[in-house]
Amino acid sequence: MISAVSGEIKKVVVIGAGVMGSQIAAHITNAGVPVLLLDIVPKDASDRNVITKSALEKLQKADPAPFMNAKNSRWITAGNLEDDLDKLKDVDWIIEAVLENPQIKSDLYKKIDTVRKPGSIISSNTSTIPLGVLIGGQSEQFAKDFLVTHFFNPPRYMRLLELVTGPQTRQDAVEIIRDFGDRRLGKGVVSCKDTPGFIANRLGVFFLQTAVNAAFDLGLTVEEADAVFSRPAGMPKTGVFGLLDLIGIDLMPLIAKSFMATLPADDVYRVINRDHVLIQKMIADGYTGRKGKGGFYRLNRSEAGKVKEAIDLKTGAYRVSEKAKLAAVEASGKNLRTLCEAPDKIGRFATTVLLQTLGYAASLVPQIAEDIVAVDKAMRLGFNWQFGPFELMDRLGTGWLAAKLKANNQQVPAFLQLASDKSFYRVENGQLSFLSLAGTYVPVQHPEGVLLLADIKRSHKPEIKNGSASLWDIGDGVLCLEFHTKMNAIDPDTLLMVKKSVVLISESQGRWKGLVVHNEADNFSAGANLGLALFALNIAMYPAIEDLVNKGQEAYHALRFAPFPSVAAPTGLALGGGCEITLHCSAVQAHAETYIGLVEVGVGLIPGWGGCAQMLGRAFNAKKRFGGPIPPISHVFETVSMARVAKSAFDAQEIGYLRASDRITMNRDRLLFDAKQRVLELVKDYKPPEPWQLNLPGPTGRAALNLAIEGFKLLGRALPHDVTVSKALASVLCGGEHDLTSPTTEEEILAMEKREFMKLVHMPETVARIETMLKTGKPLRN
Amino acid sequence: MKSVVIAGYARSPFCLASKGDLAETRADDLAAHVVRALVERAKIDPNDIEDLILGCAFPEGEQGLNVARLIGFLAQLPLSVAGVTLNRFCGSSMQSIHNAAGAIQMGAGDVFICAGVESMSRVPMSGFNPMPNPFLAEKYPQAYMSMGVTAENVARKYGILRREQENFAVLSHAKAISARTAGRFKDEIVSITTKTKVVDQDGCIREGTTIEKLATLKPAFEDKGSVTAATSSPLTDGASAVLVTSEDYARKHGLQMLARIRAIAVGGCAPEIMGIGPVIASRKALSRAQLTIKEIDVIELNEAFASQSIACIRDLGMDLDKINIDGGAIALGHPLGATGARITGKAAQILKREGKKFALATQCIGGGQGIATILEAIE
Repeated sequence: MISAVSGEIKKVVVIGAGVMGSQIAAHITNAGVPVLLLDIVPKDASDRNVITKSALEKLQKADPAPFMNAKNSRWITAGNLEDDLDKLKDVDWIIEAVLENPQIKSDLYKKIDTVRKPGSIISSNTSTIPLGVLIGGQSEQFAKDFLVTHFFNPPRYMRLLELVTGPQTRQDAVEIIRDFGDRRLGKGVVSCKDTPGFIANRLGVFFLQTAVNAAFDLGLTVEEADAVFSRPAGMPKTGVFGLLDLIGIDLMPLIAKSFMATLPADDVYRVINRDHVLIQKMIADGYTGRKGKGGFYRLNRSEAGKVKEAIDLKTGAYRVSEKAKLAAVEASGKNLRTLCEAPDKIGRFATTVLLQTLGYAASLVPQIAEDIVAVDKAMRLGFNWQFGPFELMDRLGTGWLAAKLKANNQQVPAFLQLASDKSFYRVENGQLSFLSLAGTYVPVQHPEGVLLLADIKRSHKPEIKNGSASLWDIGDGVLCLEFHTKMNAIDPDTLLMVKKSVVLISESQGRWKGLVVHNEADNFSAGANLGLALFALNIAMYPAIEDLVNKGQEAYHALRFAPFPSVAAPTGLALGGGCEITLHCSAVQAHAETYIGLVEVGVGLIPGWGGCAQMLGRAFNAKKRFGGPIPPISHVFETVSMARVAKSAFDAQEIGYLRASDRITMNRDRLLFDAKQRVLELVKDYKPPEPWQLNLPGPTGRAALNLAIEGFKLLGRALPHDVTVSKALASVLCGGEHDLTSPTTEEEILAMEKREFMKLVHMPETVARIETMLKTGKPLRN
Repeated sequence: MKSVVIAGYARSPFCLASKGDLAETRADDLAAHVVRALVERAKIDPNDIEDLILGCAFPEGEQGLNVARLIGFLAQLPLSVAGVTLNRFCGSSMQSIHNAAGAIQMGAGDVFICAGVESMSRVPMSGFNPMPNPFLAEKYPQAYMSMGVTAENVARKYGILRREQENFAVLSHAKAISARTAGRFKDEIVSITTKTKVVDQDGCIREGTTIEKLATLKPAFEDKGSVTAATSSPLTDGASAVLVTSEDYARKHGLQMLARIRAIAVGGCAPEIMGIGPVIASRKALSRAQLTIKEIDVIELNEAFASQSIACIRDLGMDLDKINIDGGAIALGHPLGATGARITGKAAQILKREGKKFALATQCIGGGQGIATILEAIE
């Protein structure tokens, strides 16, 4: 059988090298699959591949990076639709991402159909054209092999992949793409009905339009509107107007036009769709958002520096942007209903937008999706909402919402009516269920291989816990240590829980087999709790700091040499002490979007919880390395002294934070499951690592690194305290006063880490760096 | 005493390290091609060769062990031809000529291949494992000072402005371009076949180098300094070789003699201003040759940096029109171990080509040294 049918996507072609097409291509290389990128040959082009080649160049420069490893760009071959069409015969999946024009697509599909191999899958990245229209006039086989795969921009980072299938689409093709999208591309795949805008854009655009209308109507500033529909509503900080700037203000009328042409005659969108004179003028004048001259916000670069400005919705003039301080938001204490009930324009704004948007959402099931779970997931992953619309309705209270709609003479959708005396979701016996259209509760199911701590937490009590961390039974004798401080900063209680977990498992007489270190926050850990450290420093409690260094070293050491396997499963930031715990686990199962790094120098310190030692161990034991003692040391020195943070888990493997044997999970929802499986794999014949010894060069190596540091100082790249910190780091990495002939032990390196760390802690320049970091979130250069 | 002559000169193209066409070529392979070509072009009996003396500034990794011997094998020299690798940093392959000259005059052989090589792509400057003496590094850090910083020191000490350095660099490129256009590198370059192509052109020369463009560059070594990447010789991959024989042997076998070696010298200076090394060495060599700088017609002064070149020109009272007429290292590149043989071979070649009487080839050396060779025309 041909490969696609057997479920393997070995080669992909993306047709259309615009932003979406080329970035989808890049993300497919992140899954390790080669891509042929095709576009048209422009008239009179001397280089027939000029469009795809320049798209490839743009990809390499794009920020945020579409490639998880810069080297992936070599997996994209640039071609054109005239010379390379026959190459489609070798391709398993053909993704079309050309202009949103049915005729252009139709003509292209006919061409594709003549050359593609039998059984290959074709999908369109259309965001507006119904599948039914796209397959019109195509062959029967084409219709069977065709579906819509709608990615969100930027495709590497936005987790939603909407899947739309037609009645003819063959089920095995759907499953192949669903599986590839889920496991290999890391997407949350949501099945949508074949309706305009599918799920996320249908609701997201409605929400944005409603919010813009209400802001104009109620006389809010852009900052005020964005201050409501951001954190308080569990939405990204770009809010409403910031988001429009990001996606392009000129896109809105285009989507509106398409919606007006395709939505049902009685759709509420037709009522709320409005042109605003100011916005029309902005678009006409080129103020289309971040890609244009500016948008609702702009950065005005003058001689005085960069000034963030916002547009006045009444006058259209830019003025200095000021953060909105809203009494209603502060008084609401994160309670959305309280915010809505605030007796001012902010309360009215929140109420108006939520009533309309949520009422609309409630009216669209099952029109746009089978169930509410799909709708909520689409909005969480496609618009980065913390809560989907039905989850928001539960937070507001379905009864309250229905009553408010009634009071406003708005229609209460039947489904909301059905839920109005209960909730859309409920937990019973630890099982999360959702309200079906039939009015019954149905358990929320996950695909095989998905294990969520959130689910476990509903049904279990932690084995042990304190204010900073909890230990959960995730089944099969495996425990999961979850951090839950702010930004998952590591404090003495976290370290205590690490130690207690080690003891608990070690003494369980086989009841517990191993440990996963994982949590489901956006960031695994931002590092040690600097606030605590600064507090101790300000009152010169150096013994307390030393005690914290000891505790960290002891806890991580205990974890590393425990008689059971431990697997760290980080996602998002894993910095400083958060990186160090990862370095001490038996193995790492990292989410692809892990940004790991030892960043201590930013606060005038060096890694003190074994980070230096473990990085040395990794560098010296790396399979591919130059001989002699200096190359591994200088590699670690460069990495740590520059506070290098990996831009993905793949990048972390290149840098050396992760070993070649560590594994990467593309889909976050699968991370805990994969980590647990790794523990179970390691349990068989597990032997804790032997402590290593390294032949470090001592003073001669330090002299070499110090020469390099002096060079950076002369170039102005290393400021005075950088020099001090770098020299401390050099001393540790070279093994202090050791000679090349006398091996240095891990414990000796730990002692050196502590000694140099404590020296640095006593310096006012370090304290100043910590203070600045806590105040501004940015490193002080001193 | 036997008279010593230069009877042949060849080199590989010089290409930018890491991004150039020779980055994937091993140093030993590169040098072996050049040595083989030199032997073939000179039409000598390889069995007559006493020794292959090869200079290399960082003789480790692929250019490590006694790479001269290995290059002898690769170049299919007879097993009877010995091989020695020597290191005087940038002066290494000029030193190999000096060693040969001394041996010939001692009656310790008549035919020598004096070569040099450096792959700065594949072996980093300072080597893979720099391990300075900690005592020396602390008490006398200039012993390990970066070359760029010494160039800044020279610029400061001699009051050489950035603009002067840039003018010098532009001129170097212009001379190299005109030499290339006139085909003056054709005879010396040995084409190299790499995994992907045949490389037969130098890769460091930049067309369209202008003062305006150079003025936009950031300093490369000190944040308030005057030396930039454009006024420094680039990191380069390359190999070169010179055939050194006794004059008697050359005449007997009808070799094409380019020049006679008249005098040689080395000397030391303060390491923090190593760029003025040519002044010390050239003065010694001139005195041994009983010549003044005015009597020298052709000068090959290695352009490690524009600043040190200008300082040497001033101190020695050199005539700018006589210097590096086919371009210098700022344009052509400076594969450390290979440069000495290139500039000595080039000086000999120009002497013959231009029909002049005396030539001087000289260069500065990291750690604070200079080396110089004076050549005279063969009537």
